[in-house]
Amino acid sequence: MRIDETHRKWFIGSLVGLAVAVVVYVPYSRSSPQGAGGGTTMGLIYGSVAFAFMIFAGLLGARKKVPIWRLGRAQAWMRGHLWLGFVSFPLIVLHSGFHFGVGLTKALMWLFAVVFVSGIVGAVLQHFMPRITTQRIPLETIYEQIGRVRLQLMEEAISLVDEAYALLHGDVSQANEQQRAASASAGTMGGLTVASGMQVDEEASAELKQFFQGEIQPFLAQSGSHGHVLADRNRAQAMFRQLRTLLPPNLHSTVDDLENICEEKREIDQQARYHRVLHGWLLVHIPASYALLILGAVHAVMALRY
Amino acid sequence: MLRRIRTTKKLAKRMDLQYFTQPHPFRSWRLWLSVLVPVVAVVWFAALRAHGQKVYSSGPLSKSHAVFAKRCDVCHVTTLGFFRAKVSDSACLKCHDAPAHQIDRVAFTPACGSCHLEHKGSLRLASTADSSCTQCHADLHTRTGSPQYVREISDFDNEHPEFAVLRPGGKDPGQVKLNHYAHLRPNLPGPDGPVQMDCQDCHRLTGMEGNWPYAAQTMPPLKPVTAGASADMRPSRSRDYMSPILYATQCAGCHVKDLQFDKRFEQSAPHDKPEVVQAFLLQKYSEYFASHPGALSEPVAPERILPGKFKLPLPVPHNRQEWMDQQVMLADRLLFDKGCKLCHVMIETNAPLPTVAPSSIPARWLLHADFSHNSHRLLTCVACHNRTPESRETADILLPGVASCRSCHQERGPKQDAASGNCSECHSYHDWKREQPIKGKYLIPQLQAAR
Amino acid sequence: MNPAAKLVELTIDGTAVSVPQGTTIFDAARTHGIPIPTLCHQQNENPVGVCRVCVVDIGQRVYAASCIRQAEQGMTVKTNTAPVVGVRHTLVELLMSDHPSPCARQQHSGDCELERLAEQAGIQQPRFARRTTPRGHDDSSLAIAVDHEACILCDRCIRGCDDIRNNWVLARRGKGYQAGIAFDNNLPMGGSSCVSCGECMVSCPTGALTNRSAVGTKLEGGALDIGALLGLPIFKNVSGTFLELNSHAIVERKFRAGEIICREGDFGATAFYLVDGKVEVYLSSPIAHVKTEGSAKGFLSKLRSMLQSREQDERTEESSRVSIPIDAPVDLPYDHPIAELGPGDLFGEMTCMSYYPRSATVRAKTDCTMLEMLRNVLDIMQRNKTFREQLDRTYRQRALDSHLRSVPVLASLTPDFIDHLRNRVELLRFTPGQVICTQGEPADSFYLVRLGFVKVAQSRPGGELVLAYLARGSYFAEMSLLTGTPHMATCSALDHVEVVRVPGEDFQVMLDRFPEIRRKLEEAAAEHMEQNRQRVTKVADVTVDQFLNQGLMEAQSLLILDLDRCTRCDQCVRACADAHDGVSRLIRDGLRFDRYLVATSCRQCRDPLCMVGCPVGSIRRRNTLEVIIEDWCIGCGQCANNCPYGNINMHPFPVELDDPAYPGRRMAGVKVKATSCDLCLDHAEPSCVYACPHDAAHRVNPLEFFGGLLKRQTVAKSGK
Repeated sequence: MRIDETHRKWFIGSLVGLAVAVVVYVPYSRSSPQGAGGGTTMGLIYGSVAFAFMIFAGLLGARKKVPIWRLGRAQAWMRGHLWLGFVSFPLIVLHSGFHFGVGLTKALMWLFAVVFVSGIVGAVLQHFMPRITTQRIPLETIYEQIGRVRLQLMEEAISLVDEAYALLHGDVSQANEQQRAASASAGTMGGLTVASGMQVDEEASAELKQFFQGEIQPFLAQSGSHGHVLADRNRAQAMFRQLRTLLPPNLHSTVDDLENICEEKREIDQQARYHRVLHGWLLVHIPASYALLILGAVHAVMALRY
Repeated sequence: MLRRIRTTKKLAKRMDLQYFTQPHPFRSWRLWLSVLVPVVAVVWFAALRAHGQKVYSSGPLSKSHAVFAKRCDVCHVTTLGFFRAKVSDSACLKCHDAPAHQIDRVAFTPACGSCHLEHKGSLRLASTADSSCTQCHADLHTRTGSPQYVREISDFDNEHPEFAVLRPGGKDPGQVKLNHYAHLRPNLPGPDGPVQMDCQDCHRLTGMEGNWPYAAQTMPPLKPVTAGASADMRPSRSRDYMSPILYATQCAGCHVKDLQFDKRFEQSAPHDKPEVVQAFLLQKYSEYFASHPGALSEPVAPERILPGKFKLPLPVPHNRQEWMDQQVMLADRLLFDKGCKLCHVMIETNAPLPTVAPSSIPARWLLHADFSHNSHRLLTCVACHNRTPESRETADILLPGVASCRSCHQERGPKQDAASGNCSECHSYHDWKREQPIKGKYLIPQLQAAR
Repeated sequence: MNPAAKLVELTIDGTAVSVPQGTTIFDAARTHGIPIPTLCHQQNENPVGVCRVCVVDIGQRVYAASCIRQAEQGMTVKTNTAPVVGVRHTLVELLMSDHPSPCARQQHSGDCELERLAEQAGIQQPRFARRTTPRGHDDSSLAIAVDHEACILCDRCIRGCDDIRNNWVLARRGKGYQAGIAFDNNLPMGGSSCVSCGECMVSCPTGALTNRSAVGTKLEGGALDIGALLGLPIFKNVSGTFLELNSHAIVERKFRAGEIICREGDFGATAFYLVDGKVEVYLSSPIAHVKTEGSAKGFLSKLRSMLQSREQDERTEESSRVSIPIDAPVDLPYDHPIAELGPGDLFGEMTCMSYYPRSATVRAKTDCTMLEMLRNVLDIMQRNKTFREQLDRTYRQRALDSHLRSVPVLASLTPDFIDHLRNRVELLRFTPGQVICTQGEPADSFYLVRLGFVKVAQSRPGGELVLAYLARGSYFAEMSLLTGTPHMATCSALDHVEVVRVPGEDFQVMLDRFPEIRRKLEEAAAEHMEQNRQRVTKVADVTVDQFLNQGLMEAQSLLILDLDRCTRCDQCVRACADAHDGVSRLIRDGLRFDRYLVATSCRQCRDPLCMVGCPVGSIRRRNTLEVIIEDWCIGCGQCANNCPYGNINMHPFPVELDDPAYPGRRMAGVKVKATSCDLCLDHAEPSCVYACPHDAAHRVNPLEFFGGLLKRQTVAKSGK
C-alpha cells in the first residue's frame, strides 16, 4: 500500500508511541538493578504491547480470509499492519533490552528481524512496483491466468498463420472460412480482402513457416522467455521487419498481428517477473511471521508461566 | 493497422471465471511455506527441548541456584499440576531461613521473590533494588503508627539521615580514656625507644592482627575484653570490622610500666579486675616479706606516696601484718588512683576496693548497617576518620558522617564515577538474629536430575 | 361465356377464329392455341396493359396490347411478324435493362417471367444503360421480401391486393424513375397494414415480391394439407399458393398429456398455435434469485449469495409485483407461476419473431393438437384479420385484467373499470425501429407493452440518450398525460412490439376515479423526472476519444483499480467470490483508462443493452438505477451475450428440481442463472472496495471521477 498523506495520523501516532516507549525506557533501564530485560514489569509491558501489535499485524492475514466481514475496511487493517508492525520491532528490542538472548529468544529475534526487514522491503516494493508494472506492461492481465492467456495467444497465432498459408496458396474460400473462424475464436476484427487468382508463393510460404515454427511457436510455448530472440523487443522488431520484406504485402497485417501477439506474450512474461518481484517477499514474510507468532506465543506462555 | 482490438469483453472472456479457486504455483508455494516454516520452527523447538537444551530462557539462574537449574520444581512448586510462575516463600525457606525484620512492627512483609530477583544471571541475589525498600520506607507506617526511626527515606543521596551517634548530643560511650591526638604525636616513648604511632598500630581488621608492635613481652594475653558487645551484634565476616583493642596487644607494650606498683618488683600488676590485682599484691608482698627479713625497717619509697592523700610520716609498721597492710595500701593507691585511672574510670564505693567502669567501647557503631573496612582499604584512615588526629577527648565521635559516604556513594549520581548508593549496599533486610538452622533433605543427584 | 353473346369473327395469324364480343385479342388467341407472350396480364386479374409485351399487329397505325384490346369483327391480327417480334424484343430489352439478372426469383426457382422472355428472345446483355439510382429493398415483412429493383411495374400485385383480396394496401407511388409499388402511405411493408395474405407475391411475375423462406429449415411434424389449413379461420383469406410456398414453415404437432412442448431458456424460432386441447404454462426454474445477503447482522455480517426462494426472500421493492410477463397471452402470477392456455391461443411469439429464448415451460395438460410455425407463417397469421380479431378478443377478455393489474401502480383498478376499458383499448403492432410516440408531440394515449421491447430515448444535442428499455408489463406516456405536456422522449419499437393503447380520455377518467393511482403515478413520474434531470446534467459536454471508445461515458458507476496502488493481490476478486457464494462477479482485467484499470464489473450503463431481450423481463433497473437481475431469471444467457463489456456471467447453482422420471420426487440439479455485480447492496460499500487493502479499488461515477482528468486532457489537446 502506498504510504501517502492519508497516513499522517498513523505516522504521527506510531512515532509518538515509539517516542514515548523510548522516553520511558531510559529511566527504566537506568533504574532497574539488573538492567532492562523481558522479565521486569516494564519489559513485560513492552513485550506484551509489541506482541499484541504483532498479533494484530498477523491478523491481517486472517482478515483477508474473510474479506467481506464488516470488521473495518481492509485498508484500515493494512495501515494498522504497516504501522503497528513497524512499531512492534523497536518495542521488542526495548523489551529485550537490546539483548538477543539464547535459544528460543535468539531464534525469535532473528525471525522477527527477518519478518521486519522483509516487511519493509515489501512496503517499499509496493511503493514503486505497481507503478512500474503499470507503465511498462500496458497489456497486463491477471497473473494467475497468464498460462491460459498464453495458450490463447498461441491458438490465435496458429490460426492466423494457417489463414496466411491458405491465402498464400490461393485457397480463397478456405481462407475466408478460417479467417472467420479466427475472428470468432481469437477475437480478430475485420478480415482480409482476398484477391482471387493469386499466385502460389511457395517461397513466402516457406519463409513464414520457418519463422513461425522456428521462432514464434517456441517463444509462445515457453512460459518464461529468457534468452529467446523474440524476448528482446528490439531484436523482435528487426526480425518482424525482415519478415515483412519477405512476404507479399497482403500478409503484412498478419505479420502485424503476429508481432502484436509476441509483444503481448513478452509483456505478460515481463508481468510474471514483476509479479514475482512484487509478491516474492511474501514467501519470506508470511511463513516467517507465522513461525514468529507461534514461537512468540510459546515464548509468552512459558515466560508467563515461570 | 492492427486487427487485434482489445475490448473489455474480449479480455474478460479470456479468463476462467473460477480461476481463483484453482491452485496457482505462487499461492501454493506461499501456502506450503506458511505451513512448513512454522512446522519446522515448532519441530526445532521440540527437538531443542528433547535434547534438553534450555529452549526457554527466563534468564540464567544465579550461580547459587545454578546447580538445580533443570529442577524448576524445586522453586516453582507445582500446584494442581501446573507450574507457578511465582515462587512461594515456602520454597525459599526450605533452604534459607531469612527472617524478615521487624515482623512485629511492620504492616507489610514482602515475599522473597519480590526483592530477590532470580533468573538474572550471576548478579547477586541479595542485591535488591532500592524500590524494594522504599516501597515501605518512603513512607513508613508501622502497626503502632509511628516509625521508630525516620519515616521518609526514599533515597540515599538526599534523604538518608545522619547516623544516629553523629546527631547533636551524640557522644562516644567508651569509658577507656584515650587521647588520639597524644598517641599520634611524634617521638612518643615506646618500649624500645621513641616511636611515631599510626592507626594500624592499634586498629587492625579482624583476622589480620599479626604481630602487634606494642604487645606485652611477658604477659600472656588475657581474655579479650568484649565490653559493649551486645545481643544486637550481627554476624559479620572477618576483615569487615576492626578487631577490638586489647590491653595486652595494643597497650601493654608502652603502658605496662603504668601498672608498676613497686620498684622492688619488676613485674607489673596484672591488667585485671581490682580483686585480682589485690590478690596479686597480697601474694607478692607476702613472698617479699618472707624473703627479706629486714623488710619492716625499709623506708617507704617516696615515689609511692601520692601527694595529698595521706599525712606523713606514715606510721612505722610493727609486725608483718601492719607492714603488709601498709605496703598493699600504698600499691593500691598507686594503681587504683594513678595507674588504672590513666585509662579507666575507677568507681569508688564503700567497699574496700573500687570497681572499674566497663570500657563500653562500641564494637560496631552502625548497628543497622554493614560496613566493610576491608572494602575501603585503599583509603587512608583519616580520609574518612578525618577528625581523629586532632581528637583529644575520649568522648569525641570519630565515626565519619553520612556526608563522607556520599562523597563516593551516590544512588543517582553519574554512574561511572560513583560508588553504589543502593540500600542493600549497607543494609540488610533480614533479621539474622532469629535465623534457625536448616536441615537439608536433598541428595546431590536429586538436585542435579535433568528433569 | 355468355352463349347469348354476339360472336365476332377475326383472323389471327391467318387462322379465322370466332369469339364472343368483348373478348380480348389475347384471350381469343389463347383459346385458339396461339400463344402471345405477356408480363402484366394474369388470368384472374383485370387487364391493365401496362407492359405492352403482348402487342400485336392489328393492321392499324400502332400496335395494340392484346390483353386489353377487344376483338372486333373482321380484325386481322398478326402476332408473330418480324416487326412485332422486334418491338417485343425491344420492350423486353428495355425492361431487362432495369432488372437485376438473375433476380431473386430467377435464382430461386428459375421462373422469373421476364427473364424467361428475355431468354426466349435471346437477350444476353441489354443495349441500354442501367439506371444509376437504386430503388431499394424492403425486408421489413417477415413473409415477403420486396425488391424494388426487380419490379417491372406490372401492377399485378396491386390488382391482387385490391381487387382480389380487397385489402387495399398496395398502390403505385411516384412518377417516372421514382415510380414503384407502395404499401399504404409508402410505409415499409412490415409496418403497413398488410395482412400477409400473400396474394401480391403470388401475382408477381418477377423477383420483386418473393417468399421469404424463413431459415430454409423444415419443421418436423405432420405435413399439412393446404386445404385443411385454409379451412382454419386464422388463415382465412390467405392465398393458398402462398401457404403452399410456406408449407414447410408450418406443421401440425400432436402432444399427449404430460409431454413437454417447450422449455424455458431454450432457443427456438417457432410459435405455437393451439388448435385443440389445453396446455399448462409454468416456470420450472425455482423462483429464486441470485441474492446477496448478510448472514449475520451487524458489523460481522458476511455476504453470501444463494438462490433464495420466494418465501425466504421478500424484497421490499418487489413486493408489489404480482405477475411475471411471459411470451404468451397470459402473465404468470408471481406467487404461483402457472397458467393455462386453451384452443385458439398462440404462444412463443417473441421467440419466433425476435429469437428470444423461451420464457416458460409449456406442458400439454390434455392431448392436444397444435400448429408450430416459423416467423413468416406467424406473420401471416398475426396479420390475418380474422386472427387479429380473435387475438384482440381473447386479449380483451382474458389478458387485459391481469396485464393491467400486473402493473403495480394500476393494481387497484376495479373490475368495472376494466370492463369499461375492455372495449376501449386498442392492440397495436410495431415493427423494429418503428416510432410509437415522438418526443415533443402531444400525448394522447397511455401505452402498456404487451410484447417486445420499447426503447425510450431522448434526443439531445450530444446525440441520443437511451433512458430505458421497456419490456412487457411496462407502461409509458403516463407522464405527459399526467402533466399535459408533450412527450418527453421518443418511444420506438426495438423489435416486434405490441402495445396496448389506452386512449387519453380513458386514462384521465381513470386518474379521476382512482386518486391512489394518480398519486402513485405522480410519485413515479416525479422520480423519473428527477432521474432524467440528473442524468442530463451528468452527461457533461466533455468528450475524449478513449473515454468514449471504452464506453465509459455510458457508465454510471465503474469499478476502477488504481494501478499505481494495486499490488494485484486479487483480494477484490476473492472478496467478491466470498460475498457471492464462491462466484466472482468481477474480473480483474479489462481496459485501462489513464492509470486506472476499469475492471470487468457491471457499469450500470445508461443504455443497458443487457435488458434487451430478456424473455421474462427479469433484468431491470431499480429505481436507484442499478441494474439487477430478478429472481425469475431462467438462465437463458441473453443478457450475458448482450452485455458489451462481459460484465454479466452465467453461473451454475445447485438446485433441487422435480425429477421427471418420478413425479413428486426431487433431484439435485444445476440451474444456470445470470449474475452481475449487485454492488453488495446490503452494505454501504461493495465488498471488493471494502476488501481492498491498498486503497486501490473504488466504485466511482466516471464523469465525476474522471471529470478533472478529462478536462485536463481536453485542455492539453486543445493546447497542442
